[in-house]
Amino acid sequence: MKRNFALLAAALGLSACSSLGGEGFGYSDYSLVRVHDVSVGDGSLIVAAPRPWNRHRPELFEDVRAVEDWTLDGPLLDGISFVSGLESGHFLIRQRKTADQQVPKFRAEMTPPEIAAMLESLYRVRGGAVDFRTISLQPRPFLGTNGFQLDYEHLDDDELWRRGRAVGTVIDNRLYLILLDAAKSHYYDATLPDFESIVASARLRT
Amino acid sequence: MRKWGSALGLAACITLSACVQTRQYADVQFTPPEGDYNLLVLRPDVMVGSLTTGGMTEPRADWTDEARTNIIAALKAQQAARGGKLTIIEHRNELPGVSTQELADVERLNFVVDESIVQHKYLGDYLPTKYRKGLDWTLGADAVKLGQKTGYDYALFLHAEDQVASTGRIALGVLGLAGCFVGFCAPNVGGAEQLDYASLVDLKTGEVVWFNVVDAASQVPGIKFGDLRTPEGAAQMVERLLGRMKPGREAVKGRVDTAEGPH
Amino acid sequence: MCMRCLEMSRRSLLIGGGVAAAALTTGVAEARIRPADMVPLVGPGFKPTDRDEIGLWHDMDRVEEEVSSSNLLIEDPKITGYLRDIIGTVGGPAAKDFRIYLAHIPDFNAMMFPTGFAVVFSGLLLRMRNEAQLAGVIAHESGHFLRRHMIRSWRDQRRKTDIFSVGAMLAGIGGAGVGAYLGDYVQLAQLGTILSLFKYSREMEAEADAMGARLIAQAGYAPMEMSTIWQQLIGEEQASARYRGKHRQHGSIFDTHPSDDARMADLKADAAELTVPGKVYDNHRDRYLATIGPIRQMLLDDQVKLNDPGASEYLIQTLAQDGWNGLLRFYEGEIWRLRNRHALGDDVRAAQSYAAAVVYPDAPADAWRWHGISLLKEGRTGEAKAAFSRYLQMKPDAPDAAWVRSTID
Repeated sequence: MKRNFALLAAALGLSACSSLGGEGFGYSDYSLVRVHDVSVGDGSLIVAAPRPWNRHRPELFEDVRAVEDWTLDGPLLDGISFVSGLESGHFLIRQRKTADQQVPKFRAEMTPPEIAAMLESLYRVRGGAVDFRTISLQPRPFLGTNGFQLDYEHLDDDELWRRGRAVGTVIDNRLYLILLDAAKSHYYDATLPDFESIVASARLRT
Repeated sequence: MRKWGSALGLAACITLSACVQTRQYADVQFTPPEGDYNLLVLRPDVMVGSLTTGGMTEPRADWTDEARTNIIAALKAQQAARGGKLTIIEHRNELPGVSTQELADVERLNFVVDESIVQHKYLGDYLPTKYRKGLDWTLGADAVKLGQKTGYDYALFLHAEDQVASTGRIALGVLGLAGCFVGFCAPNVGGAEQLDYASLVDLKTGEVVWFNVVDAASQVPGIKFGDLRTPEGAAQMVERLLGRMKPGREAVKGRVDTAEGPH
Repeated sequence: MCMRCLEMSRRSLLIGGGVAAAALTTGVAEARIRPADMVPLVGPGFKPTDRDEIGLWHDMDRVEEEVSSSNLLIEDPKITGYLRDIIGTVGGPAAKDFRIYLAHIPDFNAMMFPTGFAVVFSGLLLRMRNEAQLAGVIAHESGHFLRRHMIRSWRDQRRKTDIFSVGAMLAGIGGAGVGAYLGDYVQLAQLGTILSLFKYSREMEAEADAMGARLIAQAGYAPMEMSTIWQQLIGEEQASARYRGKHRQHGSIFDTHPSDDARMADLKADAAELTVPGKVYDNHRDRYLATIGPIRQMLLDDQVKLNDPGASEYLIQTLAQDGWNGLLRFYEGEIWRLRNRHALGDDVRAAQSYAAAVVYPDAPADAWRWHGISLLKEGRTGEAKAAFSRYLQMKPDAPDAAWVRSTID
């Protein structure tokens, strides 16, 4: 993904001397997540944030219903993603069937190393990661089942290293995953406590 | 997962006259530095080129050097008037005690932070948790370490750019007020385009305390102003960019509540 | 500037298309350029004197500063020293002035910048079969520099876009190069934006080919190896295209461009002219393999993780011509595991390859882990646990050791 700062050159607004826009001048893609139980993704997963976060509004043709993204400082710096109830045989992201490089589908019989590999593909193929390293993969209870925790880091095409942690499990042939991805410098450490609190609060809607 | 999905929308630029816009954001508690402070200016990115008729920019080393010299002189003068000591480093290996890699990492993080500020403060894609909170971004511990190693109080990241139309271009410009294209607005049309931004980082806390963008577009060919190749033009740009540093909201409130009454 | 500027790269590193592509479709067969005519146009210590070239160098200095501190560089001193030695041998008069950087990018490409620094992508090291071929690529890039192609091409582009200015405006070409600068930092992964300004005409590519052949012949390598490079490359492209069942699209390397076959043919003729009859040429294959040996697994890993099964399979088959081993069987398995199309039996193929890999003594530890997982899914739990134990034995500090241990218990 090209991070083209040249966006600045495009002035917003409609008057002769257009202002540079600013807050409140555009339609924001984000809505506020308040500090109480919220359901995420397709609604089957409920979490609570320890402080307000920003939730990215779903885009009809872009998003997979089971996936939802939050951020605190902007997606280039940090983000928490939720996968709730992704069914076997489905993709985490929308992609063209004819795309040269494909992210593999999730399958219910995937072992944690295979789910980790699917996430790695996601970063390499769609995320612009030029290097990806698994730091650790270990068992971790999640949503009352034997889940896993994956820790990783990746170097992206903007020369920035980012770090991530994903906690997930497969229940009834569906994938449930909560993932934190943030700039390795400052932002990962700053948001990790939020992530852990959110994971601890997570439960399935009954 | 969002970062590679979002489409960053752009609108057509249809200004018809010379127009300067600047909009700055400051940390709510920011007070513009005054008195005895050390400012580090990191690798100011200055480029002045000539626009060929075909729309390509031909980099002009001589113009760029002139502009860079002028900007640096203007910066020094301006900051001296405030009482600050300015050091400008041009290459990553010029900061004693700091490796090229360390400096590169700070610059890269700053770039991504600046992008985020532009996206969420200037382009309307605001974050509700930061709404109306001034400037709420930081470079974190790495910037603080930089400050500790070097003894500087603030770091300024600066980008200045100017395209000057060569004569062929001016003729074509009149025909081409077609609008703006992704990533490039005025340079395809018109006379001079000047795009400058600056971010100021407090090295004691790592926070981005002030950010400003100046977009000075002269859409009518033949009107040039703020030409960075002249000392006056450079001083004008520096003044626009840095001179009108406004304090943050809380700081203003603080002032208002002093014994001398409201300001 | 770069060997494969005609194509769309997977990672959009080289942004082809646009106005420049039009320059390549004349379709008229041109007379071969003779290596003997290729004299260097610059000498040692060259510095520009023309105003526009000075400006270009100025900008390129900043690019080099970024490249040299990029996080994407491979800085293993043995390998970078090896590359420097090669460019010192085939760099012609400018040999001592060149800088060369190795980027951790899995594409087959190399590029030379106007100021005399070259960037070689690690994907090249997976595809070159001996030192002579590697030298050939580097010599080709040196040729661009020695024949002053960049400034000629820049001036060419400028002249062309003056004529087709409206088209250029619409294409935003004016912004393409400088756009990267507006972003303040020129990043290695976005070099393509700048490179799109330096499209070489077919004539220039032919010059660089001829010059390259001449330079490697002078350095004692068999000039025929340059033609062989194209042969290998064409084979890979065909395999990749065939796999996808894709047709030649405009802007794609899979076009039946006369250029690829013409280049191969011309280089054969060049080789015939330059080869000294009776001389014994050494392609230094052993030295080459020994030097890149330590990173070979990384190169295979990068390639396979691009998820381009056609090309990856072709490369592994090519490497296997020297004999199969555990490493190659393992990565063969990885190709299918990553494609992961059950309907096509990918999991079965992968399992077979892993089983074959672990028979060899050089099978990497990861082969045992995936072998174990395949067995687990087949219900062969006892064997799976044995495979996992073997994995942990080889790599007790593996990143996923904790998970693997929990599976055994």
